[in-house]
Amino acid sequence: MNEKKISEILILGIGNVLMGDEGVGAFVAQLLSDETFPENVRCLDGGTAGFILLGEFQSADTVIMIDATVDGQTPGTWKRIEPRYSSDYPQTLTAHDIGLKDLLDAAQILGKMPKVILYAISIAPLGKVEWGLSPQIEAVVPEICEQIKKEVQRNIENVSVIKTDN
Amino acid sequence: MARLVVDPITRIEGHLRIEAVVENGVIKDAYSSGTMVRGFELILKGRDPRDAWAFTERACGVCTTVHALASVRTVEDALNIKVPKNAELIRNLMFCTQLVQDHVVHFYHLHALDWVDVVSALKANPNDTSRIAKSISNWPKSSPKYFRDVQNRLKAFVESGQLGIFANGYWGHPAYQLPPEVNLLAVTHYLEMLEWQKELVKIHAIFGGKNPHPNYLVGGVPLSINLNEVNALNSERLNFVKKLIDDAIQIVEQVYIPDLIAVAGFYKDWAKWGGGLRNYLSYGDLPTRGYSQVDSFKFPRGVVLDRNLNEVHEVNVRDAEEIKEYISHSWYSYSGGDDVGLHPWEGETEFNFTGPKPPFKQLNVDGKYSWLKTPRWKGKAMEVGPLSRMLVAYASGNKEVQEVVNDTLKQLDVPVGVLFSTLGRTAARGLETKLVVHWMKGFYNDLIANIKNGDTKTFNDEKWDPDTWPKEAQGVGMTEAPRGALAHWIRIKDKKIENYQLVVPSTWNASPRDANNQRSAYEAALIGTPVANVDQPVEILRTIHSFDPCIACAVHLYDPQGKYVRRVQVL
Repeated sequence: MNEKKISEILILGIGNVLMGDEGVGAFVAQLLSDETFPENVRCLDGGTAGFILLGEFQSADTVIMIDATVDGQTPGTWKRIEPRYSSDYPQTLTAHDIGLKDLLDAAQILGKMPKVILYAISIAPLGKVEWGLSPQIEAVVPEICEQIKKEVQRNIENVSVIKTDN
Repeated sequence: MARLVVDPITRIEGHLRIEAVVENGVIKDAYSSGTMVRGFELILKGRDPRDAWAFTERACGVCTTVHALASVRTVEDALNIKVPKNAELIRNLMFCTQLVQDHVVHFYHLHALDWVDVVSALKANPNDTSRIAKSISNWPKSSPKYFRDVQNRLKAFVESGQLGIFANGYWGHPAYQLPPEVNLLAVTHYLEMLEWQKELVKIHAIFGGKNPHPNYLVGGVPLSINLNEVNALNSERLNFVKKLIDDAIQIVEQVYIPDLIAVAGFYKDWAKWGGGLRNYLSYGDLPTRGYSQVDSFKFPRGVVLDRNLNEVHEVNVRDAEEIKEYISHSWYSYSGGDDVGLHPWEGETEFNFTGPKPPFKQLNVDGKYSWLKTPRWKGKAMEVGPLSRMLVAYASGNKEVQEVVNDTLKQLDVPVGVLFSTLGRTAARGLETKLVVHWMKGFYNDLIANIKNGDTKTFNDEKWDPDTWPKEAQGVGMTEAPRGALAHWIRIKDKKIENYQLVVPSTWNASPRDANNQRSAYEAALIGTPVANVDQPVEILRTIHSFDPCIACAVHLYDPQGKYVRRVQVL
């Protein structure tokens, strides 16, 4: 029997939990940490860190990233994108994008960039220091969590062969 | 006369705007503005003091652990809790890990690009780079083939059009003075250090359970020591920490320090500029006999005034007359009027934004122009950071520090006065890193010895139960963040946080003028700096980056454009 390495999946929530809705990615990651996933799936609240996440980021084959965006859409709407370069990311991934972009660029130049699937959740533009999410964003969190779980499932199924007899 | 605006000025984290007045190619005046609102203190009111560290740890994406450390010390100070020896050592090891990682990343990934021309590295002869590398260090990765491979990788990267991480440099600017071969050496180590820092930070996960937000605990550290237990701090994990420390010593001595000295040799002019303030403050850190024994600190506490290295002044952060925050030029209001200074225990966080609506051309610097408050020590402006730590230690007669500083000055053939400069600040950061990696090894050995003697205690639970607390208490917790003196002040009433104030290093350095029109460190340091080309003010970046600005914790967070492109405006 041959064993193929199982694809490593990292669920990475980004955002500052002290900045209200800006922290939605981090909150989602915290919620998902309580779920049971297969061994090859890790869940991390990345906060607003940059380079310090590089090891975790590069050790995954697929990163499912959750982050807030200020893109003028109705707060609570979300979209799924598969960006390749840091320049493909929504420009207004709130202010912590400065660290995040360095992280992505660093992974790029080091030659190991996992596949990234980004769930970008639109939030209202007025960033304010507060703990917790607004009702509008809170309402969409269960749906995002469900989507992420499905995303994990799809990515596991996509790994063509996990164990084969030959 | 040109008014130069650089906004944002940081490569990573935070929002800082510099307005500089340039006359005949020299900076005549400068204004530093934190452009994002602050106020994490408000979130802490009414919470359990034992949880405060977890909130303050979120104030910054880079300095997470130092905020947590300052916070647990604050509560321990208020409640008079002594932490066990093992906890002191583990906290020191985490402190050192963060400092070394931060300084190496700062040098190679944030500051180097102000001195190193990435595009010029493409023209280097890898054979010559190899020869230079071997002449300055025993670091094994130094063959011509190795440098050629990196150069080819870099070429492919540049040709792909996705310059990414290198997109924001002023490549080809005449202020870049390194030969292509040294540029290639530095860029190669840029990549190597990026890989290596991923390993080093695993120490935080081992001692703190996770990254990037390790766990802290009021009264000790939240882990149990059992050399044979799988889930505890065991022999395997400790051996891994030892390996990471040994690697760090090698990397710092064979890569960082030789590179620093090689690059500095081409930029001795920068020992003339960027000095700024003449006063230096360090809270000190790395206790070896308990935090209350200040004379046991590896980094001593004190103030150097007027660059006089023959005298160190004592610092008492509890004294309401020593440390005060002013808001004359900050977007806040105080209930007692905006020209008074408040000690952080009496501190107030009431926003009062009077600035222009973005986008705007120029700040009204006669009025309020920053989200940073302006801290002062006995009314004086202070520089904080690695240079302050080294100068206070040097002036305190610390033999280790004096030796490493004097040796380096001799090697570069420069007098002690060059320390008071942009170059001196950048050099001080490297020199303290060299000391810290060895101190780390010492803390590690002490930890092992302590455990082998049968002491596995990591937590003092005497005051854990809030019923043991007084009705009211106040405390202060200090530490030295990589970028300088950091302190949190707390007032506890009825088991809850009544007031919490943070005075972070970038507040000392990047703040606006005070009520007496005295400049803080950034503003002072820029004056007299030449600017060759106002459209590409790399000189401003050199001096400001030499402080390792991290405004994220000082001010946060939201930028309407959310864009990371340095906007340079010439008015």
